[in-house]
Amino acid sequence: MEKIEVSKEMIKKLMDGVLSDQEVLMLQNSYKDHDRFLKYLEVLQERVPWDDKILMRLSEHVYIVQKKDTGERISKCTCGYEFGDYRVNWKLNCLINVRKTIEEMSEVYHPVPACPEPEWQEIREFFCPGCGTQLAVEVVPPGYPILFEFLPDLDSFYKEWLHSPLPDHGKYRFEDKSLTLIEKWSKEV
Amino acid sequence: MFKDLDDVLKNAKSLKDLLAARDELTQKTGTYYGIQELKLKEEDPLKFEQFYAELHSVVLRAREHSRLITASPGGREMGESLWSLCTPDGDTLANSLGFSTHMVAYRKAIRFMIENGYEENPGINEGDIFSTDDGNTAGAPHPGDTYTYLPIFFDGEMVGWAAAVNHIMEAGAPVAGSWPGFAVDTTMDGLVFPPMKVGENYTPARWWEELWKARTRAPVFNILDDKMRLTGCMYIEQGVKEIIKKYGLDYYKRAIREVIEETRRAIVENIKTLCVPGVYEGTSFRVVKYKGLSQVWPHADKDFMLHTRMTVRISPEPKILGDLTGTSKWDYCAFNGYPGGADIAFYLPVTGNFLNNTKMTSGLFYDIRSYYPEGCTYNPDTPYAAFSNIWAQSMSMGALHWNALTRAFYARGFLEECISCEGDWAGIQGAGTLANGQQYGFTNFEQVGGVAQGAYPFRDGIPVAWAMWTQLCNIGNQEEWEYLIPPFFYLGRRLVKDFCGHGKYRGGLGLSSVHWIVQPGRDLYISRGGAGMAQTPFVAIGQCGGYPAPNSWYVALRNSNLNEKIKEGLPYPRSADEILEYVNEGKIEAKDLQIFKADPPQLRMEDGDVFSDASGAAGGWGDPLERDPYMVINDLNNEWISEKIAYTCYGVVAKKSSIDGKVRYELDVESTEKTREERKKARLSCQSVKDWWMKERKRVINKDFIEPVRYTYKSSFSTKDGEKFRQYYVGFWQLDKDFEL
Ligand SMILES: [Zn+2]
Repeated sequence: MEKIEVSKEMIKKLMDGVLSDQEVLMLQNSYKDHDRFLKYLEVLQERVPWDDKILMRLSEHVYIVQKKDTGERISKCTCGYEFGDYRVNWKLNCLINVRKTIEEMSEVYHPVPACPEPEWQEIREFFCPGCGTQLAVEVVPPGYPILFEFLPDLDSFYKEWLHSPLPDHGKYRFEDKSLTLIEKWSKEV
Repeated sequence: MFKDLDDVLKNAKSLKDLLAARDELTQKTGTYYGIQELKLKEEDPLKFEQFYAELHSVVLRAREHSRLITASPGGREMGESLWSLCTPDGDTLANSLGFSTHMVAYRKAIRFMIENGYEENPGINEGDIFSTDDGNTAGAPHPGDTYTYLPIFFDGEMVGWAAAVNHIMEAGAPVAGSWPGFAVDTTMDGLVFPPMKVGENYTPARWWEELWKARTRAPVFNILDDKMRLTGCMYIEQGVKEIIKKYGLDYYKRAIREVIEETRRAIVENIKTLCVPGVYEGTSFRVVKYKGLSQVWPHADKDFMLHTRMTVRISPEPKILGDLTGTSKWDYCAFNGYPGGADIAFYLPVTGNFLNNTKMTSGLFYDIRSYYPEGCTYNPDTPYAAFSNIWAQSMSMGALHWNALTRAFYARGFLEECISCEGDWAGIQGAGTLANGQQYGFTNFEQVGGVAQGAYPFRDGIPVAWAMWTQLCNIGNQEEWEYLIPPFFYLGRRLVKDFCGHGKYRGGLGLSSVHWIVQPGRDLYISRGGAGMAQTPFVAIGQCGGYPAPNSWYVALRNSNLNEKIKEGLPYPRSADEILEYVNEGKIEAKDLQIFKADPPQLRMEDGDVFSDASGAAGGWGDPLERDPYMVINDLNNEWISEKIAYTCYGVVAKKSSIDGKVRYELDVESTEKTREERKKARLSCQSVKDWWMKERKRVINKDFIEPVRYTYKSSFSTKDGEKFRQYYVGFWQLDKDFEL
């Protein structure tokens, strides 16, 4: 194994699916490059159409950003749609389509015997309200709470692992705040 | 107790002393045996590396030798075997190729022997052979996985264990095969035994052979495999003695502990390099359909799902904790497990992701841990729970862990390490009596040896190229399986069209084989041992908008005119989906066609019948509407997907033409753009999650679920920590505080 220099060009090619299998294999077989995260953020920042600072990429299109004007840490789609406080599960602010019948399921699972069983399971598709991109899929029994896939401990990561604390370190307690939104909904019931 | 490692090595009098010292010093200091400096490594790093390379080479060779000396075809063909060298107190130092996380079980079994006084009774002496396949006492994932332990002595001092495991052909349960899918409690698991002394002076006891003959259906194979494991262990023992002679006993005893501490440190560094601290949630479901299978055990006569919920917490120290709170309670079914066997699945993503730049030793166990609430599927609060096929859903638990790590790697930008992980697998098993009265049992490990790889964030998964549990992906030669199982012949083996999790990048397609029964003799019964079934996908959460993979399904075609068609020289189906096409198109007539989305019971098969699986599909990555439409066209032209899926899932419209009788597809650019635009618009008119929540909440309050779903939730609420999951459930739906289902 050796240590290699990974350029921003290479990261872009990797993201775009045009890095050769040989080069991918080389990346897999090498010691990891310690500045990958910062270069990755730079590439991502160059590609999004807005200029809030990206703190972390959660998913193909969902980022945690620090808003330029207010300094708030929110999750945000590539298209610019804002999901609010990053500690609230962003899926709660999506649009949703639920596939319940074999006919609906067999549009995405095929051949037909490969479909999940109606009543036992449903397919939930989560879309960005801004651009309609499918951001997440759950296949779960009816009544299953929506999963919060990943809540990063941003402050610890930046301060203790990268040794570069965020300017507003300590302002956002590391906790799942999804219930605050759900409690708001329940008042409207 | 002991002050430090030097003190331990000088003054420990027994294995019990060693084990207690290891536990205490490691616990107290956070480093292995309290080792602060890797003295031997620092003094002479080349010597240290050479020492380790020699140990490693001994176990690597042990595997390759012993498989060629005595082994059943299953033992030889398949990757599910492992030879290892352990410390006297049970930590693993070096592994051969193979299913490496089995080393979790070594720690468990050796601990059990030490803590239960095996040093005094039955005694641990040079040349003694120990064996076990028990989950509760010895960490075996299921009774088919059989372990051999040979203590290694040097100048009268116990210096380690040679250990080996392989998956045998037949486990001797009421349901034949090696993963009985129907078991009510552990008395139906087959031949299960705690660590036992089964031979002395390097010679298996006579009764040991008789036991295999009496209590399993493939004794010839099982005895061959037993000898194979022992051969490798003896090879390791000899090799280690030579190494100790060369380096000296004092060097050996300290170096083996430094090696493990070195791994522990490397793991910590790797977590920091690759991950992000935080909380990662995942879930999966596994169907259990026992209703109607038996009137004999009314407590097992029900349908439900086993729910696995895993919250992976990566803390800043760094440490990783896989918390299984919310997981179902154990039940009267084959799919429970015990913590050791469960950990074998839990640690798969660790060996798969954190060991590439260090040594594969027990050092990986110390900062990455699982938590199985008492009473749950993976930690039954009884020693009588059946565990004959824990792999049926513990692989999904491994996959949840892996997918959590993938989310972390993705956030760090290490896309080359990210895959949409699935752990689906399948095996066909059974028993029969040949025309001459010879009885036999068998397992076909084909779809255990290799499955499809999930999508990366930048390319499609490759079919039949991967297995979460082994580096040695190999589905075996068809011919070998045919001679192993007399009446089984392959009519075909091919990828199943559309059968994957779709996405911007799709998972590798699953595989199907068509097993044609020819002259089975007096009788033949088959069933299926395997992971999930298509009724639920294996992992419930896709990656970044891609779909999780569909699970396995089966087709049994019995009492048909297939043999006549073959005699006439007409085409015959080569995969499960083709069987259905042939029947639909009237090319084959069958009196009995069954499709299974849940485990089939044992089926009686006659001459000309067919059993076919479709399994090992992998998950997708990203929104399918973002898939390059030319890749969709390519999939169409390769017959990897259907026109239907191209349109309904990918929004791609293709122009179809026929050149020299061969169908070709071209992209209809305009119609595709229009279709995709319309799809996005349709998505934007979907309800908000908030509106959905309002409606669903009423359904939850009305408990408007089918009984199996209600049972599944109730079960998850009833483990030792189930109340936590109940409260979470109540919180999410804003229910009455004492809400019950
Ligand atoms: Zn968007």
